[in-house]
Amino acid sequence: MTRWLLPGFLAVGVIATLVLIVGPALYAVSLSFYEIRSLTSAPEWAGLANYAAVLASGEFWNALWNGIVYAGLAIVLQVVLGIGFALLLNQPFVGRPILRGIAFLPYLLPTVIAVLTFKWMVDGSLGIVTILMDDLGLPPIYWFETETASMVSVILISVWLWTPFVTTTFLAGLQTVPPQLYEAARVDGAGPVRRFFHVTLPSLRPILTVIILLRGVWMFNKFDVIWLTTGGGPLGATEHLPVLSYRMAFTLYDIGSGAAVATLSFFVLMAAVTLYFRFFPIEGGK
Amino acid sequence: MTDNKFLTGPITRRKALKGAGGLGLGLALSGLAAPAVHAAGGAPIRFLNCETGKGTLAFFSKAAAEYEEKTGREVVVDSVPLGEAFTKITNGIRSGNPYHVANVGFIGHVLLLAEEGQIVPLNELTDEYQWGNNILFPVDGKVYWYPFDYNLALIYYRKDLYEKHGLEVPATWDGFAGNCEALVEGRRKGCLFPIGSNGASNWMSFAFMWAEGVKIFDDQWNVVLDSPEMKPKAAAYLDFMARLYPTMPPGSLQASYADVLSNLVAGTVAHGAYAGRVIESAERDNPAMAEQLGIMPYMDSAGTRKAASHGYDGWVVLDTDNTGPSMEFMRWLTTAKMVDFLHTAPVHFQPARLDIYDDPRWRDNAMIRKYATEIETMRELVTDDSVVVTSIDTQGPVPDVRPGKVFESFAMPEMLQDKILRGTDSAEAVETTAARIRELVG
Repeated sequence: MTRWLLPGFLAVGVIATLVLIVGPALYAVSLSFYEIRSLTSAPEWAGLANYAAVLASGEFWNALWNGIVYAGLAIVLQVVLGIGFALLLNQPFVGRPILRGIAFLPYLLPTVIAVLTFKWMVDGSLGIVTILMDDLGLPPIYWFETETASMVSVILISVWLWTPFVTTTFLAGLQTVPPQLYEAARVDGAGPVRRFFHVTLPSLRPILTVIILLRGVWMFNKFDVIWLTTGGGPLGATEHLPVLSYRMAFTLYDIGSGAAVATLSFFVLMAAVTLYFRFFPIEGGK
Repeated sequence: MTDNKFLTGPITRRKALKGAGGLGLGLALSGLAAPAVHAAGGAPIRFLNCETGKGTLAFFSKAAAEYEEKTGREVVVDSVPLGEAFTKITNGIRSGNPYHVANVGFIGHVLLLAEEGQIVPLNELTDEYQWGNNILFPVDGKVYWYPFDYNLALIYYRKDLYEKHGLEVPATWDGFAGNCEALVEGRRKGCLFPIGSNGASNWMSFAFMWAEGVKIFDDQWNVVLDSPEMKPKAAAYLDFMARLYPTMPPGSLQASYADVLSNLVAGTVAHGAYAGRVIESAERDNPAMAEQLGIMPYMDSAGTRKAASHGYDGWVVLDTDNTGPSMEFMRWLTTAKMVDFLHTAPVHFQPARLDIYDDPRWRDNAMIRKYATEIETMRELVTDDSVVVTSIDTQGPVPDVRPGKVFESFAMPEMLQDKILRGTDSAEAVETTAARIRELVG
């Protein structure tokens, strides 16, 4: 019985992966080699024409750059703030368990609820933030009205939503650092800052490497926040590759080009992850 | 093993097998019988509805039950927001389980489906009626949809504020912008016309330009937006919108249909555009405001021409094995039930069929009686040939998918953004947009 257990479980996993992930992904890649003008029209073989058209368009490079800016800045802020909150929540104080629970709350909220709530709060006429600022005699903030403001807004929403993930993961890691290391550092005269850089960070490097990797991949592929807040606008200022792919496929009905953008996005991400592991191998932390 | 009750107890293996066999036979027979039962009424009609108001949903539920009782044919109604309709329709076709009748709110989708032979002409249902202007969109004489309403975007204004400030209903852009500026007071803004890359902007913000006589295409489908005749007009429109922008609340870039509706009903803007839904929402949520709202068409810069932004909804019948019964159902729906359906949103569902305006059954409705003046104005807009009734997706000499592409690309709202947010010279913004449209339509 046990002889078949492992291969059985493996087979289920492999079949599920093939059917639910590999199959659809290959199908999506195959679509990129066809010209498909609507969701019901017959595909026509186009070779690499969709790739050539996409790579020659300014939209693709603009979306790639936007994705790098969005993911890059969001990760930096999430990691810096997440570590900061984790260090605070690792200190003993009254009410710590409650605060730890609250700190995780934004991560539990469905994105659509968080985003729509934010949009209502900053609504230019009826939003509570707008009304409070008006009551305080402050000018209104045009949260999404300029190209820079839009990017800043979507980054801030993303930071608010996913910093708790970094906090919680890093906090869990902090519990595993042997107290003797801190005591030894203290005996050697190291202050809090030096203890952080010479004890905490090196001890948690493998965790940090994984956190940054996961957040990077997730942010680069993050669709919902941008789609729900700005739709990629204004004037393409927040349009990154997932939004561009969706727009091409489902609003312009250029399915082939949409699939080409998605495939290119996959390869860009794969290259970035490969480079990342080259510079930050997880084993290196041990 | 020997203590297995199936072998030794009151239920023997033979009994268990017999029981299972009997159960299987029963299930098989019931399964065989099921098609016979269905055959009495035929295959169900799958109906995709996109009008999701509470009253309309209740209407379809009741109508489906009534039709089944009358004919024995089941009608299965699925309801989704309009934005998801085309994906549902095409997914149904691709999966081999298509809808038989579907609600469509974008003529580009109707034309795409017609071009691919997925829907059938409905002339046998439409030819017997008189219709309002520019609503049937025939292709070579064939009408592929049954339009049930106009959703013309009109300008709503506050009658009480006009009276208080001694303002006249404007006939020119200058007059309109002046009124918007005059009515900015505290948290109340002068107007709200969306400028974001969304359907609301496409629908609500361009009829000023249509009133001015701007066309995107000429009769040969050449893009003429930046022609010597059109460019100055389009540029003047952009200058006008840039003048309105400071009188709008922050967030006009993000403003959706719902945002404009809620601002009008709450009274936080003095002007905005929408169809009859505003009146119905105000009656429900803020009745005092409903009394204060007046409507006017969009105007040009010189005060010589009026326009309304085209909006519409209709039904298509898909080319399936069930087309015949679907046509029968459509005939029943559009004759016996049309008035009841329109009454589910009496002001918003502005009839596309002209006979309905004179139908006593339709007029016998509290909302239609109360807002008879507004409804008469709406009727004039679709029967007066001097009024421009058009939209981005219905531009061009004949119905075609090309303007639909312009609509879906949001090239026109981005022209507004280029001017208003980036401060690009108006003529340059028009030229950039025209070039983009040429690229889009090939």
